[in-house]
Amino acid sequence: MHKPENKSPNIVGFIGFVLLVVVLAVLPHMLSFSQQEILVLLVINVLLVCSYRLLTLTGEWSLAHAVIMGVGAYASALASKELSVPVPLAMLIGASVAGFLAFLLSFPLFRMKGFYFLIASFAAGEVIRLSWKWSDLTFLFGGPKGIKRIPPFPDFLTIDFYEPVNYYYLCVVVVAVSLLILYRVEKSRIGLTFHAIHWQDKLAESVGVNTFRYRMLAFVISAFFAGLAGALYAHYVGAIAPKRFDVEEMVYILIWAIVGGTATFYGPIIGVVALTILNEVVLRSLGVDEMRPMFYGAVLIIAILFMPNGLEGLVPKIKNLFTGPPKDGNRSLTPSQATE
Amino acid sequence: MTSKFTISRRDFLSTTAAATVMAGVSMPKIAFGADDVVKIGFLAPLTGEVAAWGKPGLDGCQIWADWVNADGGVKIGDKAYKVEFVPYDDEYDPSKARTGAVKLIKEVGVKFVMMLGGDPWPGAAPIAEKEQMLFSTLLPSDLSPETTLLVAPCEVHPIYNVTGVEWLAEKKPELKTAVICAQDDSLGKPSVATYLAAFEAAGIEVLGKPIFFDPATTDFAPIMSKMLALKPDIVCLDTCYADYVHPLVEQAFQQGFKGQMISCTADFYQKMVEKTSKEFMEGFVFQFPDFDDPALNAEHVNFRKPNDFYAEFVKRFGAGEWSAVSWEYASIMDLWADAAGRAGTTEPVKVLEAMQVGGTGKQAFGEADWWGKELFGIDNALVGLWPVVKITDGKARIQEFKSIPAWWDKHKDLLIKHMTALDQMYFQRG
Repeated sequence: MHKPENKSPNIVGFIGFVLLVVVLAVLPHMLSFSQQEILVLLVINVLLVCSYRLLTLTGEWSLAHAVIMGVGAYASALASKELSVPVPLAMLIGASVAGFLAFLLSFPLFRMKGFYFLIASFAAGEVIRLSWKWSDLTFLFGGPKGIKRIPPFPDFLTIDFYEPVNYYYLCVVVVAVSLLILYRVEKSRIGLTFHAIHWQDKLAESVGVNTFRYRMLAFVISAFFAGLAGALYAHYVGAIAPKRFDVEEMVYILIWAIVGGTATFYGPIIGVVALTILNEVVLRSLGVDEMRPMFYGAVLIIAILFMPNGLEGLVPKIKNLFTGPPKDGNRSLTPSQATE
Repeated sequence: MTSKFTISRRDFLSTTAAATVMAGVSMPKIAFGADDVVKIGFLAPLTGEVAAWGKPGLDGCQIWADWVNADGGVKIGDKAYKVEFVPYDDEYDPSKARTGAVKLIKEVGVKFVMMLGGDPWPGAAPIAEKEQMLFSTLLPSDLSPETTLLVAPCEVHPIYNVTGVEWLAEKKPELKTAVICAQDDSLGKPSVATYLAAFEAAGIEVLGKPIFFDPATTDFAPIMSKMLALKPDIVCLDTCYADYVHPLVEQAFQQGFKGQMISCTADFYQKMVEKTSKEFMEGFVFQFPDFDDPALNAEHVNFRKPNDFYAEFVKRFGAGEWSAVSWEYASIMDLWADAAGRAGTTEPVKVLEAMQVGGTGKQAFGEADWWGKELFGIDNALVGLWPVVKITDGKARIQEFKSIPAWWDKHKDLLIKHMTALDQMYFQRG
């Protein structure tokens, strides 16, 4: 399942890390104002789709992830707006509420697996989403119009987080720490157990693994970070509504994950980055606004037909172009095969 | 209010003729310099389920721009400016609206931004405030005391719906009961409150509670069955999107409804006539006329050359593409051009001041008042006459222009009561 990690100092990896930091630091200054706005949302979506991947490690695909992001957004917005909780603390509250809700949902949902879990998660998500629109709760959730004038992230010294570049740096720090945690979880014994549950759940149970608890743990961690992404979104855009977290948004999360690939940690990141650039930059620049969904759909079909392992499947091939074919003859190993 | 700036086609022709004569001996009278372009942002849904209220409006704006530019452009100060629309698809999403507002204002340099409004507006609102940019919306439910740079100068949705019910009650007093359904969203709810108030004012009983269905609904048979089970005289389709109005009407037809139907819109109604029958659609009442209607040539109508506009729209895009918003953004541009001409500048705050001077304005259907304090917390909605439209022999025709302020003066307590009950007053919204 996993290749042994190389513990020796990796100079190439270090240089790559430094380069990545430099690129992330310089990037917003090379973009236009509107592209800076897109960049902020992209970084938030990176956290969203990576948190989704953690759940998929156990083999379960949920259709409630967008709604859970919304739970974080609503909880954080309400905490800061109605209870005057400081925004950074409200964000953590939002993420925690999303995690706690996932904990509660685990009890009914993980009585099912596979397709049944998928459908049940969709139903649970819709119940939550529709409760935001319920007229008896309009005083709290704002009904279909949602919550407006959500307090923004407060200024720090002279840094105004209304400015997209400043908020981008904030998001990069929050998302980087979150991804590090998600990565460490995946590489830990807990992560290996997630994989075991995915591929051999009966075998895992036979050796004493409590699969329910591990599935619940993956769901809760995944929800916590999805909720954090929702909170980052809410305090940036300043308005949330139930429609923002509907099934259409969920479809986008699935598309990012599937087109990017979920076998590697970087797969969904490649997916969300590539598709966001395609949809928000390339297709918009062509000036064919009303045709964008058609072009987007065509590109997705082509991607799935010719890259069934996702965009992540290109990474080893590109790597081979620079380093030459592997000497062990394992040249055609795809990321998913490597993981399996 | 009088306008200093008006260019009629006759003026244009005479100016052009004179310019042609003078061409041999002098420079042309009308010529745009490299910088003589004023850019207007069009930030509305061009894709997705709400695109029907964005794209046809952009098409209408292109006709408006072509005509105005051919007439010499918009005269502001000492210069004539060519008008150019720059669209951005907000996908009816606040974050996309924010990105679009930033692009249009900070990169493109637009001087005015037109939006459909609704869910995307809160995303653009902080940008409007920070950049001091004038925005317009078709949905005055976006207005609040804080939205000082947002105006609703064309359509006061959903308040004009009262005119349809009032007309119906006058013409068909035998209709005594009604049922209402609407999608459960920011367009459906205030509209339901308005219809409830209008029916109550007209002495028409609403049977049962209004049915709010989820916007994701695709099967409308149960909704129509539930409504028809109450045996109403009137089926009211509220402000449903075209994607809902069509299947609901089909269901009413298939389930044998013989009574009166009323709706805010009936976009692409020709397709409904094709799917049902002329007989079934006869008498269908709604609020948005085709602009080939002779009634639009009335003296009080301010929209310029409505019949020609409709003919040009049909020529370019087809009759089936005409929708409720095809003319609305263009009519807002009439107001903006007039105000910018009088202000002598495109500076947004000054244009707004010029637009609202005297508390009245030339709304598309007639002289109107800047109004809304009691309902929206700010007088940024232009309200006056609104047409009641009926389908007759498969064609939409204006029956009468009715006054919204006159209804409001008599029944405002009812409207405020129902708006409050559905949490739609400005101080109750989010």
